[in-house]
Amino acid sequence: MAFLPFFGRNIGVPFWELEKMRGHMENVYNALAGGLSQFRKNYTGVFPLVNVLEDDQNLFVVAELPGIAADKLEIAVKGDTLTLKGAKTLDKAEEGVNYHRREREAGSFSRSLTLPIKIKADEVAAVFKNGVLTITLPKAAEARAHQIKVNAE
Amino acid sequence: MTQTNTSEMNPREKKLLDTGSAESTSTVPQFSPQVDIWENEKGLTVVADMPGVSAEGLNIDLNDNALTIHGHVTSPHEDRKIIAQEFEVGDFYRQFKLSDDIDKEAITAAIKDGVLTVTLPKQAPAQPRKITVVTA
Repeated sequence: MAFLPFFGRNIGVPFWELEKMRGHMENVYNALAGGLSQFRKNYTGVFPLVNVLEDDQNLFVVAELPGIAADKLEIAVKGDTLTLKGAKTLDKAEEGVNYHRREREAGSFSRSLTLPIKIKADEVAAVFKNGVLTITLPKAAEARAHQIKVNAE
Repeated sequence: MTQTNTSEMNPREKKLLDTGSAESTSTVPQFSPQVDIWENEKGLTVVADMPGVSAEGLNIDLNDNALTIHGHVTSPHEDRKIIAQEFEVGDFYRQFKLSDDIDKEAITAAIKDGVLTVTLPKQAPAQPRKITVVTA
């Protein structure tokens, strides 16, 4: 990836504005707390699929797990690794039924994620609602953005 | 009663709703939920995986013989910044054509942990009616 300087010299290059923007986007991704974009690169296709979000205070890991009992879910944080384990069972139909569709899947799963930033492991909370698991991981003090006050003189 | 399957689960991308030639004007993606449908002499059962759908967000409609399932999903994460996204969040929609022998008045539905179960009992079979022929 070519990083083009912000000013000057590239005016004659076609699409340099676009190229510049691409460079900026890449910079933003790489700069975020030591490369948050590793999540994208490491996408391994392991169940469950997760979305990772953040706000100023927390990191959120969200997974869709319909039909999984909350007490069958095991969530653990060790160091910077978050582990999700569980199993999905399907309600067994009565004897002698004919299936018209059989699309839903059952089985066990286990997934580990490397967290991109330091979190407070003892304050992690998990909520399971309507088949969606949301894990809230409070950021450690050193991982939070600090507002720096500018003093006018 | 449940059946346990010890195999590993595989992630599957959510299937976007196929609207055919009708173009969707929905602002959120619409997905076709994965379903199990089974039938016995008592009736038909439809089970659909609809994560994120609450009882309030669920709309089941029966028009003529078409059963429509629509689940609205609200995400609490709209103001949050996405770091990594492996799945999309959106509504669920799927339609089924029912056979004539379903007792439409007796259809019931329940949703729990993002799994919808619709029970569609069959009408009691028509009693054979003996017609007495009176000779004049």
